[in-house]
Amino acid sequence: MRDDLFEINAEGVDTEAIVAEIRKTVAEKTEQGVYADARIARAERSNLMNLRDEEGFLAFYLDCLKDAVFVDISDFEIHERRPCFGRLLVILKTTIWKLLKFYTYRLWSQQNQVNGLLLSAVESTESKYRDRIEALERRIDELEKRGGGKSSEES
Amino acid sequence: MKKAERIAFVTPRFSEGATIGGAETLLKSLAVHAAASGRSVTILTTCAQDHFTWENTLPPGSKTVNGIEVIFFPVDEDRDIDAFLRTQTTISSGRAVSMEEENTWIENNVNSRALCEHLQQNGDNYDSIVAGPYLFGLIYHAAMVHPKKTVLVPCLHDEAFAYLSVFERLFNTVGALMFNTAPEMELARRLYKPDPDAMSVVGMGLDSFDCDPNAFSRQQGIKTPYVIYSGRREQLKGTPLLIDYMTTFRSRTGHDIKLVLTGSGPVDCPAELRPHLIDVGFVTEDEKHNAMAGALAFCHPSVNESLGIVILEAWLAETPCLVHEKAAVLRDHCVKGGGGLWFKTYPEFEAELSLLLDNRNARDQLAAAGKRYVMENYRWDRITDKMLNVLDA
Repeated sequence: MRDDLFEINAEGVDTEAIVAEIRKTVAEKTEQGVYADARIARAERSNLMNLRDEEGFLAFYLDCLKDAVFVDISDFEIHERRPCFGRLLVILKTTIWKLLKFYTYRLWSQQNQVNGLLLSAVESTESKYRDRIEALERRIDELEKRGGGKSSEES
Repeated sequence: MKKAERIAFVTPRFSEGATIGGAETLLKSLAVHAAASGRSVTILTTCAQDHFTWENTLPPGSKTVNGIEVIFFPVDEDRDIDAFLRTQTTISSGRAVSMEEENTWIENNVNSRALCEHLQQNGDNYDSIVAGPYLFGLIYHAAMVHPKKTVLVPCLHDEAFAYLSVFERLFNTVGALMFNTAPEMELARRLYKPDPDAMSVVGMGLDSFDCDPNAFSRQQGIKTPYVIYSGRREQLKGTPLLIDYMTTFRSRTGHDIKLVLTGSGPVDCPAELRPHLIDVGFVTEDEKHNAMAGALAFCHPSVNESLGIVILEAWLAETPCLVHEKAAVLRDHCVKGGGGLWFKTYPEFEAELSLLLDNRNARDQLAAAGKRYVMENYRWDRITDKMLNVLDA
């Protein structure tokens, strides 16, 4: 953030310049993958309606979603905060997890496959129709220019 | 110029306290200031207080409140709520509806035949009828009783209902339209193309207030920065978005920051945010102002606002705002006043909230700019003059 955007005792604050600066930084970080995060996909679920007309938003949302589609079925470290029978409880929970894992592994891996396939389908549909719409817009522009009418960029 | 000496204000709900919606607060405040300017004011409203049930809980009849006559009329109880909700769902999904469905929706909306009959019988006793907001059958029908005398305060939002042809008819039939902000007027121009001479921007005034920025944290035992939202909690107001954003902000940045909510409505909060959510429900105006004054920022996540009274209040409490870019009115306030920033996606929200947390100077400068903007543009004497100019025209 540029320091001159907030001068001490400045009469007015140029919020448009500040937001533009923030957006520039966010765009750079997005390129670096800083925001490819399942938590962001979750946070944006209520924003989908607000931004349904935004061209780039769906692509960004799908990018965040990539990290969220697969259910984590790998082992994890089990802790126990209770001081009494702590070790025993850890052994018990580890055993229960191993039994559960045995019965649910097939189910979760199938679910992960479905999630992955669905995301790929949505991504390819989005990409296909985006390309087709862009091609149609170019074609309309060409035809309008040829006919002397208003191009879609002007409208 | 003909002076509007006797003015009726029509509003769906009226409360002697402050616990009603923004549009009703606006109508009530305009009525109070018209009366203070020496005009004879009558408020016509319903016996309902709850905006979900619209149950007639207050007794019908006349009552004097702070020197103003308020007449309460019952909400029609014979409406077909199922038909209303069915068409409401179709309309809000953005699907096209027939004229017949529009009529079903407006006729089974919140209406009061008793209020309209009063206007029919007593129309000559009022020089001007100020009615709003636009989204109620009650306001539509009341405006159609004496349309040329009616000044509509629409509180218009860019929402599916605004595209119904009944509202195109309403906006082109009433004598005048009084908007809260220029973007709201622009929206009406785009949707209905009303007579430009009939349109004015008036808005609502705010009185400055004293507040203690430490009082709320002290009372609630809060030792960390907090973001505040005041108002109804519902999908349309964007509160689920705020809850999701705050949960993610805490998880991604590791900042210990709380979320404070004042107002009504249920909150669906994930378990991880629950210990950091301070929901105080309805509070007094003083308590609300203290809570705003102590906040790092006021976040208004709604994309449908015609004025955004709460962000103006937050600025008076010297707190900067974060608003959604799609809220044209709130964004316009932030551009003109310099008191807040706007976000379109979570990463922008994260960057802006981090800026306010890390740069106290930036936070304070935004807050000071917001306060100057409200003091210069939303003084009651200016707003009252603008309103009376419209009513006297």
